Amino acid sequence: MLPSLLAMEATIQVTGLRKRFGSTVALDGMTFTVAPGKVTGFVGPNGAGKSTTMRAILGLDSVEAGQALVGGRPYRSLRHPLRQVGSLLDASALQPSRTGRNHLLWLAHSQGLGARRVDEVVEQVGLASAIRRRAGGYSLGMRQRLGIASALLGDPPVLVLDEPVNGMDPEGIRWMRGFLRSLAAEGRAVLVSSHLMSELQDTADHVVIVGRGKVIADVGVSELIESASGDRVTLRTSARTQAVTVLAGAGATVAVTGADTLTVTGLSGERVVALLGGSAVPFSEVSAHRASLEEAYMELTRDAVEYHAAEIQESAR
Amino acid sequence: MKEALRVEWTKLRTVAGTGWLLAAVVLLTVGLGVASSFAVNCSGVGCGQDPAKISLSGIAFGQVVVAVLAVSAVGGEYGTGMIRVTLAAIPRRSTVLVAKAAVVGALVLVAGSAAVLVSVLAGRFILRDNGFTEAHGHAVLSLADGPVLRAAVGSVLYLVLVGLLSLGVATAVRDAAAAIGIVLGLLYLFPIVAAVVSDPDWVERLQRISPMTAGLAVQATTGLDSLPIGPWAGLGVLSLWAAGALSGGGLLLRLRDA
Amino acid sequence: MTATTTPFRSGVQVGRDGFGQLLRAEWTKFRTVRGWVIGLVAAALVTVLIGLFGAAASNISCSGPDGGPCAGMTPPMGPGGVPVHDNFSFAHRSLTGDGSITARMTSLTAVSSSDGQNPVSGLQPWTKAGIIIKESTTPGSQYAALAVTGENGVRMQHNYTGDIAGTLFTRPSWLRLTRSGDTIAGHESADGANWHLVGTVTLPGLPSTVRAGMFAASPQHEVITESFAGASGRSYPTRATAEFDRISLQGGWPDDTWTGEDIGGGPGGDDIGFQESGDGVTVSGSGNIAPIVAGRGGLGTTVESGLVGAFAGLIAIIVVASTFMTSEYRRGLIRTSLSASPRRGRVLAAKAVVLWSVTFVTGLVAASVAVPLARAVQRDKGHFMFTVPTATELRVVIGTAALLAVAAVFSLAVGTVLRRSAGAVSVVIVVMVLPYILAIASVLPSGPSDWLLRVTPAAAFAVQQSLPEYAQVTAAYAPADGYFPLSPSAGFAVLCGYTALALGVATLALRRRDA
Repeated sequence: MLPSLLAMEATIQVTGLRKRFGSTVALDGMTFTVAPGKVTGFVGPNGAGKSTTMRAILGLDSVEAGQALVGGRPYRSLRHPLRQVGSLLDASALQPSRTGRNHLLWLAHSQGLGARRVDEVVEQVGLASAIRRRAGGYSLGMRQRLGIASALLGDPPVLVLDEPVNGMDPEGIRWMRGFLRSLAAEGRAVLVSSHLMSELQDTADHVVIVGRGKVIADVGVSELIESASGDRVTLRTSARTQAVTVLAGAGATVAVTGADTLTVTGLSGERVVALLGGSAVPFSEVSAHRASLEEAYMELTRDAVEYHAAEIQESAR
Repeated sequence: MKEALRVEWTKLRTVAGTGWLLAAVVLLTVGLGVASSFAVNCSGVGCGQDPAKISLSGIAFGQVVVAVLAVSAVGGEYGTGMIRVTLAAIPRRSTVLVAKAAVVGALVLVAGSAAVLVSVLAGRFILRDNGFTEAHGHAVLSLADGPVLRAAVGSVLYLVLVGLLSLGVATAVRDAAAAIGIVLGLLYLFPIVAAVVSDPDWVERLQRISPMTAGLAVQATTGLDSLPIGPWAGLGVLSLWAAGALSGGGLLLRLRDA
Repeated sequence: MTATTTPFRSGVQVGRDGFGQLLRAEWTKFRTVRGWVIGLVAAALVTVLIGLFGAAASNISCSGPDGGPCAGMTPPMGPGGVPVHDNFSFAHRSLTGDGSITARMTSLTAVSSSDGQNPVSGLQPWTKAGIIIKESTTPGSQYAALAVTGENGVRMQHNYTGDIAGTLFTRPSWLRLTRSGDTIAGHESADGANWHLVGTVTLPGLPSTVRAGMFAASPQHEVITESFAGASGRSYPTRATAEFDRISLQGGWPDDTWTGEDIGGGPGGDDIGFQESGDGVTVSGSGNIAPIVAGRGGLGTTVESGLVGAFAGLIAIIVVASTFMTSEYRRGLIRTSLSASPRRGRVLAAKAVVLWSVTFVTGLVAASVAVPLARAVQRDKGHFMFTVPTATELRVVIGTAALLAVAAVFSLAVGTVLRRSAGAVSVVIVVMVLPYILAIASVLPSGPSDWLLRVTPAAAFAVQQSLPEYAQVTAAYAPADGYFPLSPSAGFAVLCGYTALALGVATLALRRRDA
């Protein structure tokens, strides 16, 4: 093993990336770090700068300011880049008339690897039966698997995957989730982009949420969910006025949301039950609200979404 | 059919390259024609040159751009997979091809007419200054002259037919690069082989079936007896090539999966 | 890094590093796309087939008054197997051993039997008359001659291709040839007193007894009319008359009189080309003593005639080479390629090396099959070949392969810059194949044709020219005749220059642009 590989840290450091396409600002000080041993979700609406950032990490796009380092070095200075960073940007970036196996073979050759390694990764992604067919005939799901195989060719400590579950069937998506988790469990740093937060719910340990070319939030998934949920309790009661008095007296904010429903913030569900029980206020239902990752994300990106539905309707008219 | 025509027109109109290519047809055709007109001198009686042909020699250049334009109109669809969208919108495939041919043909007709008009006009003045005068047995180039008018109209039609030929080949091979290679190979093959073959019977045979040599016979205004094929008959040969390519392409388009 | 995370270690063995693996990757890329392999095979096939067709459809007929076929009519071969003209009027005697001949030429005139519509001066630039020492009267035998020419002054010529310029342009002209062993020296003089050495030549193995004397020859007057329909040539015979006096012979001259003879078959009949009056001798004759020049309407076939299909092979190779790069852009594959090897210049270099190699091999196979096959067909038909030295033949074959290979790299570079296949293919065809067509198929007059073959990449087709131009033989030497304005190496250098330029721009573009 090369000394450089031993010394290689499984991290991605993105610092202050700026880039514009004409008058459009694509990256506006993008900064985040991807740690090893975790699946890091890279989330944001379309046009937020996810793909541009990933291309910048891979040395494909130039930036006007800032830098992206992989294991502490710029991508373009890497000797055997695929042994340090495996990437999947566009699963359809294939020569349709070449077989899947030959596609992997030339990539392997470019890293000084042989056909044996190709067969290994093909086995790993479960594409063995189709690998000798023309890649042009692959379904989108098969192309994603081929793309994952090419990312794994060099057995790299860092993986950069752009929407890898796009076009996969539910079975494939489940496989991909487990697969990404197992890759991270081996100590690799895994950066996975998506424009759907729900896709990442059971996969990512950490999320970097971006909008309009910069990071909006850079948090652990559990933390994010907790902060978004807050202490929100929905209460169904026939004695609305009494309940409001009791709960407000205990320091909660109470909002009337229906004829017999209240939303209570500032108190836990258990506390609400105890207070109402102590004051003999009748109630039929108490439910503590737990935010989904999607809601948390919507909350955060509301301002950052480039094209609001209303605007789209406007322009379609 | 009317919608198909509109579809193809919109598609071709909204691709950035089309305008540039049409401008290039005019510029290159006129450019080479003017350069040739400047290069040729007629110093005495009977200098054996055909002024109409000289001024229209840029067609040999312009046809390349026409071929690129026509090939791109088809190759672009196959390159991006848009052909499936097109065929989903207009399932009658022959209609799609006919509409494409009509639109490409019309565009080439317009650009070609402009190119030919300017070429003849430029040739009229340049060649007169270079000794192609009545004193040397050459009438000043004028479209009022029957054979010159025939050469001019024929040259425009020549360009249109080259465009249709290219469209047919591109539809058949579905790849822009291969199509342009085949079209230009087809145009150039016969003149070169005819130039090296020394059997006069073979030379004549090759020239009569060559899309370029036979097609360009329509430009001749002098020495019609020595032509391998009559002017209009020559253009007819090219029409046959174009018709063959279009129907071959159409047949394959209908038989194959999109 | 958190304490709980164990650093990741790859178990994959590290292989070799460097440019070699990049070459291997690009080679794998190339060979695994069937269309490209088929394209190369097609390139080789069309090159061979068109060459064969060109040979098979050649049927040379003599455009003389009979117009019959002249298959089997082989011209005399000079030393070294060069086909030659060896027709002249010769007033000769035997010369045994060493010796010299001196004569004064007082006048040189010529008449043309032109049809009167185009009145021409009979004297051609290379009408020549003077003294000659010749191995025998057999056409094609060795000789050395010192001649006064129509417009080129005194020249010393030998064995058809040798030509040394003298200094004398005035008449009368004193001429002297001196034999000593195998070497012959030629001297010129304006007054018979002050002699100037024009040159010394060696005729290896010259027999002891040779023929020597006065001669006259005048080549045909060629009128080539060029038009956009092609060039048509007409030629009119001319006849030169030279008057000599003050003839003096030194050494072993056993004969007492001059014998007049038309070498190589003259007009015959009453037209005697030799008269004596007092000490003066008048010789008049037609024809030429010179190598035969290949070209339109010529009798022989050249080595490169079997390679006429190379332009079609070139078109196929241009398509393959351009798409080798443009196909990467079509679907974004270039991103994969560049993330696998971020040093972009090296990716382009690896592609160029792979393309160069595969097209060179393809071209070499095609050319080395096409040349002998076409030659066999031509031989079968009884046509004679312009034989050239093996080195020249190798240069033509290898040069054609190199032309295709460099053109492939050129197409690759153009494809990198334009990123669009139709555009790249047509640009390369327009700058490389179109000028060749315009020049070879005599679409353009020879002036513009020459210019095109100097400044465009098509100049490289000069590597196919196997026969040299002879300054001492008047001919069109037009591209359509197989003569290029630039030398083979200069023409090839033009293509290489364009390729280097395109590669430079392509490297810059590849480096600067976002992939």
